[in-house]
Amino acid sequence: MLSDWGHVGFLLLLALVFPVGGIASSWMLGLLKIRPQAPDPIKEDIFECGVETEGTAWVQFNFRYYYYALLFVIFDVEAVFLYPWAVSLDEASVTGFIAVVTFIVILTIGLAYAWRKKALEWL
Amino acid sequence: MAIELEHYLILGALLFSIGLYMALAKRNFVGVLMGIEMMFNAVNLTFIAFSRFPRFADMTDAERLSGHVFVIFVITVAAAEAAVALALAMLVYRNRETIDVDRMDLLKW
Amino acid sequence: MDSVNRFGPELILLAMAAVIILADIGWALAGTGAERMRRPALGALALTGTAASIIWSALLIAFDEQGEAFSGMIRVDDFALFFNFLFAGTAAIVILASIDFLRRNRFVAEYYALILASTAGMMLLASTIDLIAIFVALELTGISLYILVAFMKDGRSSEAGLKYLLLGAISSAVALYGMAYLFGITGSTSLDEIGLVVSEANGETRSALVLAMVFLIAGFGFKMAIVPFQMWVPDVYEGAPTPVTAFLSVGSKAAGFAVVMRIFLTALGDGSISSDWATVFAILAAISMSLGNITALVQGNIKRMLGYSSIAQAGTFLIGLAVVAAADPQLLLGTSAVLFFLGTYAFTNLGAFIAVIAISSKIGSDQIADYAGVAKRSPLLALGLTICLLSLTGIPPTAGFIAKVYVFNAAVQADLVWLAIVGVLNSVVAAYYYLRVVLNMYTAEPASEESIQPGYYLGLAMVVAVVGLLVIGIFPSPLLEASEAAARVFG
Repeated sequence: MLSDWGHVGFLLLLALVFPVGGIASSWMLGLLKIRPQAPDPIKEDIFECGVETEGTAWVQFNFRYYYYALLFVIFDVEAVFLYPWAVSLDEASVTGFIAVVTFIVILTIGLAYAWRKKALEWL
Repeated sequence: MAIELEHYLILGALLFSIGLYMALAKRNFVGVLMGIEMMFNAVNLTFIAFSRFPRFADMTDAERLSGHVFVIFVITVAAAEAAVALALAMLVYRNRETIDVDRMDLLKW
Repeated sequence: MDSVNRFGPELILLAMAAVIILADIGWALAGTGAERMRRPALGALALTGTAASIIWSALLIAFDEQGEAFSGMIRVDDFALFFNFLFAGTAAIVILASIDFLRRNRFVAEYYALILASTAGMMLLASTIDLIAIFVALELTGISLYILVAFMKDGRSSEAGLKYLLLGAISSAVALYGMAYLFGITGSTSLDEIGLVVSEANGETRSALVLAMVFLIAGFGFKMAIVPFQMWVPDVYEGAPTPVTAFLSVGSKAAGFAVVMRIFLTALGDGSISSDWATVFAILAAISMSLGNITALVQGNIKRMLGYSSIAQAGTFLIGLAVVAAADPQLLLGTSAVLFFLGTYAFTNLGAFIAVIAISSKIGSDQIADYAGVAKRSPLLALGLTICLLSLTGIPPTAGFIAKVYVFNAAVQADLVWLAIVGVLNSVVAAYYYLRVVLNMYTAEPASEESIQPGYYLGLAMVVAVVGLLVIGIFPSPLLEASEAAARVFG
């Protein structure tokens, strides 16, 4: 049982050694004066895939994203219920089918409501 | 060392306590909400653990699975609750320009 | 089909909520010409829904269609039907009382749909016998109410909604943790099964059971609004729109008591554990009554005062719960006392809040001091509010008197004389702040002579509530028999 987790433990160890080793060796080489020390504003900057950073990360997001998050959650959670039903389709029979259709109809009413209230448009 | 029921229960209790502490001590509303979500997830863990290690040997699959079903419902309800909570947070922010729960002081005697 | 039939009263409310939302969308499509008809039509739809629910419940009794539904998730019995009538009636009165308040609000359809959904959740709380369904019903009630509390969208209302949501979510997580342990100990989510296992339990699981019980009391104590889970009550009552406050103080509280009775009497009703929770409830009852009444004494805002008074009233209901298990064998007098009290309390508190809606919307203030001389400006409203406050105090011939006598009598029969004495002393304290409002209305000089005219619908709701509580006060036997029949479910 525990030995099965050994593989995971090995990967974890590797994942730790890799970054820590990099930082430690750079620091060591700097101490031994092998690594050149040439600071530069561009080098000191936050590495952002080559794109220059602009402002801080603590900005407020447009609240319209919230509607999308909300709609996503609704249909995401729908899948939580549909999956167990789909797996046991044989046993659930007609009753289960009716129940799931009712469930989806209720969600559709919610979607229709969101649509009419213009939650799907980027105003 | 095998991982038994009590380990899960202790982990669940710890997570629940951390969540409760966050919910009561955090000043930012979103932090409080995260604490509440953590409490729900601690409960989920407890349910799954009880399903995985049934108390009675003669429990049927249906009885054991009711723990799993419970978790699905908890996840759904927590999502609905979070949606309403965030909507309320937006409403409060528009009114008060803050979502610091310590500054919710319009109502007191 | 039996399942759907027995689920009917809830189903019709939920279906009507969906119809209202769809109708609102339809109105938006129809253009501006039909706009004038929108509000009355939506209100009529909501009232039809509650009326249909009441009629369906009555038909279930008439055709003796009682029993379980959805493979043991729901049990429709006298207890569930009692609460069906209570909640549907409360919702109908609240909808009547909301029509005037909604004149200035854009979201009429949402309001009605949420009230109906919340009512369906409360009915479910009284009729479910499975932990999963109880949790879902609890949240259906709760989440609808969070939105309703914040419905005014101004600073106070949204702050009240936020506080209610935070504490509500924490308390439901706590209750859920208790349910998880109950499931773990007994291996089932069905209340009957749990009760069976608990009655056979030996010493080793007892401590875990007590733990689960404490978590459940803490979680549902929030819904019942008892000390020490009452912090939200005054703030939310003050900040919420007054019709919602009325709904909250009657519906949500009654639903809390309904589910607590279901869980504690069915699943944890065995003598070895019930003596524990009886003691807890007895102590909480004494503290709730005393703290609620003493804090109510110093309140200047009438909605806050009624909030603290509702905490004290919840304490009085708890006496009934403590009585049930204090005696062995269980004393059903306690259960029926709680049910009877809830029935009278619904009329009384609804009447009081409707009077507050009518008066406060005219004088533009919730302060008790501003109620000076209301009797001269509107004799009928003042009379109605006086009757409701007398009933809350427990003065004959109102329904509140009989309810209090019933509960205290039950306490004495269960050898909880000290609790009955605490209750009577508290009634004396309560009389002071209830009658202060009455005195202020009748003796003080009014600020202006302008008369206060409640709207037609508000007046109708007020008449229903006040007549109801006077009728119960004079002819209590129908409600008494109904609550006794409902209590026999646990016999």
